[in-house]
Amino acid sequence: MTPMPLALRLALRELRGGLRGFYVFLACIALGVAAIAGVNSVSRALTEGIAAEGRTILGGDIAFRLAQREASAAERAFLDRSGKVGALATMRAMTRRSDGAEQTLVELKAVDDAYPHAGELVLDGATPIDAALAEKGGVYGALAVPELLDRLQVGIGERIALGAIELEIRDMIRAEPDRLSDGIGFGPRLMVSLEALEATGLVRPGSLIRWTYRLALADPREAAIAALSAAAAAEFPQAGWRIRTRANASPGLTRNIERFAQFLTLVGLTALVVGGVGVANAVSSFVDLKRPAIATFKCLGASGRLILQVYMLQILIIAGLGIAIGLLIGAVLPFIAKSLLADLLPIAAAADFYPAELALALVYGLLVAIAFSLTPLGRARDLPATSLFADRATPVAVQARWFYRAAQAAALTGLAGLAALLSADKRIAFTYIGAVVVTFVILRLVAAAITLLARKTGQVRGTTLRLAVRNIHRPGALTTSVVLSLGLGLTLLVALALIDSNLRRQLTGSIAEKAPDFFFVDVQNSERDAFVAELARIAPDGAFQTVPMLRGRIAAVDGVPAAQINPREDAHWALHGDRGLTYSASLPDNSRLVSGTWWPADYDGEPLVSFEADIAEAFGLEIGDTVTVNVLGRAVTARLANTRELEWESLAINFVMVFSPNTFAGAPHAHLATLSLPDGAGETAERQVLAAVTATFPGVTSVRVKDALNAVNALIGDLAFAVRIAASLALIVSMLVLGGALAAGHRQRRQDAVILKTLGATRARLLTAFILEYGLLGMATAVFALAAGTGAAWYVVSQVMTLPFTPMAGIAAGAALIALAVTLGLGLAGTWRILSVKAAPLLRNL
Amino acid sequence: MSEPAVKLENVDLTLGSGAARVHVLRNVDLSVNGGETVGLVGPSGSGKTTLLMIVAGLERIDSGRIAIAGTDYAGLGEDQLATFRGANIGFVFQSFHLMQTMTALENVAVPLELAGVDTAFDRARDMLGRVGLGERLSHYPAQMSGGEQQRVAIARALVVEPRLLIADEPTGNLDAGTGGDIADLIFQAAAEQATTLLLVTHDAVLAGRCSRTVRMDSGRLIDDKNASAAQPAPTLRTA
Repeated sequence: MTPMPLALRLALRELRGGLRGFYVFLACIALGVAAIAGVNSVSRALTEGIAAEGRTILGGDIAFRLAQREASAAERAFLDRSGKVGALATMRAMTRRSDGAEQTLVELKAVDDAYPHAGELVLDGATPIDAALAEKGGVYGALAVPELLDRLQVGIGERIALGAIELEIRDMIRAEPDRLSDGIGFGPRLMVSLEALEATGLVRPGSLIRWTYRLALADPREAAIAALSAAAAAEFPQAGWRIRTRANASPGLTRNIERFAQFLTLVGLTALVVGGVGVANAVSSFVDLKRPAIATFKCLGASGRLILQVYMLQILIIAGLGIAIGLLIGAVLPFIAKSLLADLLPIAAAADFYPAELALALVYGLLVAIAFSLTPLGRARDLPATSLFADRATPVAVQARWFYRAAQAAALTGLAGLAALLSADKRIAFTYIGAVVVTFVILRLVAAAITLLARKTGQVRGTTLRLAVRNIHRPGALTTSVVLSLGLGLTLLVALALIDSNLRRQLTGSIAEKAPDFFFVDVQNSERDAFVAELARIAPDGAFQTVPMLRGRIAAVDGVPAAQINPREDAHWALHGDRGLTYSASLPDNSRLVSGTWWPADYDGEPLVSFEADIAEAFGLEIGDTVTVNVLGRAVTARLANTRELEWESLAINFVMVFSPNTFAGAPHAHLATLSLPDGAGETAERQVLAAVTATFPGVTSVRVKDALNAVNALIGDLAFAVRIAASLALIVSMLVLGGALAAGHRQRRQDAVILKTLGATRARLLTAFILEYGLLGMATAVFALAAGTGAAWYVVSQVMTLPFTPMAGIAAGAALIALAVTLGLGLAGTWRILSVKAAPLLRNL
Repeated sequence: MSEPAVKLENVDLTLGSGAARVHVLRNVDLSVNGGETVGLVGPSGSGKTTLLMIVAGLERIDSGRIAIAGTDYAGLGEDQLATFRGANIGFVFQSFHLMQTMTALENVAVPLELAGVDTAFDRARDMLGRVGLGERLSHYPAQMSGGEQQRVAIARALVVEPRLLIADEPTGNLDAGTGGDIADLIFQAAAEQATTLLLVTHDAVLAGRCSRTVRMDSGRLIDDKNASAAQPAPTLRTA
C-alpha cells in the first residue's frame, strides 16, 4: 500500500489537537456556504417544479395566445387539425354587487366545456364545473375566489353583476391549476363560461382581451411540439400569436425566480466574504499558536514548502468540514421549503438534491477559505525558528511575501469573476462586487485611521479613557477586526434598508401624489364622449385625459425578427408579450423630444413612430429605421421619426411607442382614460367615482392606482423581507467574526487585567475602560457603515433606479444602535469573567 | 588534517533597525573540532544564543565565514540549509519543544521522515529504548514528566546521528536531580556517537563538564578555556 504523503501525515497528526480556535472559522464557512447552496437549491426546486408542472400550468402541451381577437377560421382549423383544443379568454373587468353597493376589479377567465385542460380545479363544494358555470333559469353561474366574495360581501348562491348580465356565485375556487400562466394579476379571480362572457357584452372591438388556445397533442414529445410551433409560424406568419410550450409555461416567473436567486446569492456571497475575515483571524491565531511547532519543524529539517503544505492541508481539511456542514444544510432546504412553505409557494417545489447548485456553493466556500488563509499561511512559511531559543521570548513579526498577497488577490479575483459570470445581469453583479471591494478597502483605511488617531491623541484626560484609547492602537488591538467584520455587515444592512425605504416612500409618497387616481381601460370609441361627460359630472374639479389604445407586439426591428434580437438586459421586457400602443398628432405630455422631429398635426405620409429614447438605444434604433408591430393579426411597419424621454414614475399615460394618427386609421380600438381628483378628495370621493362609472359604463374597467401601488408595495415588501433575511445573515456572520476576534484577545486582556489589578486598578475602572473602548470602536464603525451604506443606497436609488433619494435619520439611529449593542454586548460578554479572575495563579505563570 | 566540526572566521552580525539596531556578534572567530564538548557561557544578551542560531543556519551572518563539518553556509539556499540541518545537526531546547499532538515515537521519527528514511519508526523505537523510554512509545508529551519529555527530545536530536548537537539550556526547566540525569544522558550520548556538542548554559557545574568553555560578552569571545586536547573533526556527511 502506498504510504500517505508526508505533508498529509504530518497535517493529520497536527489535527489531533482538535478544532479549538476554529469554531468561528467553521461557523462562518458553514453559514455562507449554506446560504448560497440553500438559495440556489430552493430556486432550482421552484423552477424545476414549474417545469415539472408545465403541462398543468400551461393547460396543455402548447398554447397559442392572441391579443384582442379570436382565432380566424383558418387558424382555428389548423389548431383543430393539430390536436385536442381547449379555448379560454382572459381580461380584466369590473364586477359589482347587484345593489351596486360594492364593486371591484377582477381577473376574468372565461372557459370552455373542456376546462380544466390539464390538472384539477379544486372547488370548495366540489361542484361539477359544467354545472357550476351553466345557465340555469336565465342566469349563468360563476366561480370566485374567497377574496372576491369578501370584497363584495356576497356569499355562495348570491348574485353579482358583470357587464350587462347578472351571475350567480355557485362555488369557491380553492386551487386553480393554470393560475401561474396568467402572470401577475391586480384583482381576484372570477371564472365564467365562454357563453356567459359573450352575454356580458364586454367583448367589444378594441377590448383588452386575450384568447388562448391550448393543445393536447397526440404525440407529446418535444420534437413534435417544436415542429408544430414552426408549422404555425410558417403557415400564419402574420398571426401575431404568442406561442408557449409546456417547457416554458411561465417564463416570466421562472426568470424572476432565477434573477432573485442570483441577487440573493450575491448577498450570500457577501456573508461568505465577511466570514473570510473570520477565516483570516482564525488562521492567523492558529499560525501564532503553532509558532513553536513550525519553528521546531524548521530546526528538524523541514523546508518552507513542506511547512506551507502541512498547514494549508490542515486549513483545507477544516474548511472542508465547514463546507460539508453548509452543503448539508443547503441540500435539505428544498425539502424544508416544500414542507413549510407549501401554502405560500405558487407551485409545488420539486424537492431534490441539486448537485450543480451544491457544487457552486462548494467552489465559493473553497475560494473564500483559500483566499483568506493565504496571507497568514504565507507568514507561517517564513516564521523564524529563533523563537525556540531560551533568550528569544518575543515573537518576531513576519509579513507574508508578495507572492502570497498576489495569490490572495488572484483567488479573490477568481471569486468575483465567477460570481459575475454566473449572474444574468452582469451590470448589477459588477456594481455589487465593486461596491463590496471598495467598502472593504475603505474599511481597512478606516481601521488604520482610527488606530492612527488613537495613537496621535496623546495624553487624554483620565486614566480610564487613556486605557481605552491605548487599547485601540496597541499591537494586537481589536480595531481592524471590529471595523472589518462589523462594518461590512452593517453597511450592507444600512444600504438595503435605505434602498427599500426610499423605494416604498416613492411608491406610497411622491409617485402616489403625482400619479392619477384612476385608470379607465376599454372605453369604446362610441362611448368616449359620454364617458368624458360623466367624468366631468361626477368629478367637476378633477383633471382627466383620454388617449386611444391598442395592443400589439413588436414583430421586427429594422427588418430583424423579434426572436433574433438580443437587446440590453434591461430592455428585454419590451419584446415580451403585448405592449400598449397609441397614436397622437402632437407630442404627449410628460415627454421630451431627444432626437428627430415630431410629425405635423395633419401628417398623412408613410406610418411614423416615436420610440422611448432609452429603449430605442437598447435596441440600437436610429432615426429612419423601421419598427414592425403586429396588431390584430396585421403587421404594421412604421419608420422611426423621433425618440422621447418619459417620466415613468409620474404614472401618467406613457407609451413606449406612439404612432402617427394615420397608422391605425380605421382599426378598431378603445380608449384609455385617467382621472386625477383634487388634493384631499379622500376615499369616499374615490368610491363614488368607482360606483358611478361601474354602474353607467359596466364594460369599462377601472383601476384604482392606490390599489395597484399597494399591491406592488406588498410585493416589494415581501421581496425586501427576503433580501433583508439574507443581509441579516451577513450581520450574523459579522457578529460571529467579531465574537471570535474578541475571544482571541481575551487572553491578553486577562493578563493585562491581572497586572492592573495588582497595581491598584478597581474592577469598576477596568470595566469602564472596556466599555469606553468597545463603545468608541462601535460608534466609529457605525459612523462609517452609515456613510458607506448611505452612499451605496444613493447610487442605486438615484443613478440606477433614477429616483430621488432621501437619507433617513431613523435608519441611521438604528444602525448606530445595532453597532453599539453588538460591540458592547459581545465585548462585555467575556469581560465580566476576566474581571473576576484570580491574580495569583496567573502571576506565577507570567 | 580533517576540517573542524565548527569553523567561524571573523563573523559579524547586526540585528534590528533604527534605534533597536544591535551589534550582536563582533568579529567572532571560533574553531571546534569533531567530538569536542563546548560550553558557551556569558551574561544575557552576550550573543550566545545568536551564535547557536548562526551555527544552526537559522540566522544569516553579515560578514565572515561559517562552515559546519566542512560545508560553507554561504553557498546554501534556505531549503538546502534546512536539509543540511536535518541530517547533520540535532537540537535540544530548554522547553523541549516536542509536538504536542504526536506520540513519543512519532516525535522521534519526524526528522527521519523529513529526510525520507524508510525505517524511521524502527530507528525511533530503538532510540527511545536507549534513552529508557521503550515503554512510553505511544504516550503524548502531556502525559510525561519534564524529564521524560527532555529524554524524548534528546532521542529526537540523536536519532539522525548528527555531526553536531546543539543544546540550549537543556536543564533550565528541570529540577536538580532530573537535570543531572539529563546532563548525563547528553554527554554519554555525545561521547558514544562522537558528536560535537555545543552547550549553552548558565549552570557552572554543567559548563564544567564540557571539555572546553567559551565565554562571551557583548558579542565577543572573551575567554576560551580548553580543558582537553583538540580532536580532529569527522568527515562531512551530506544528506
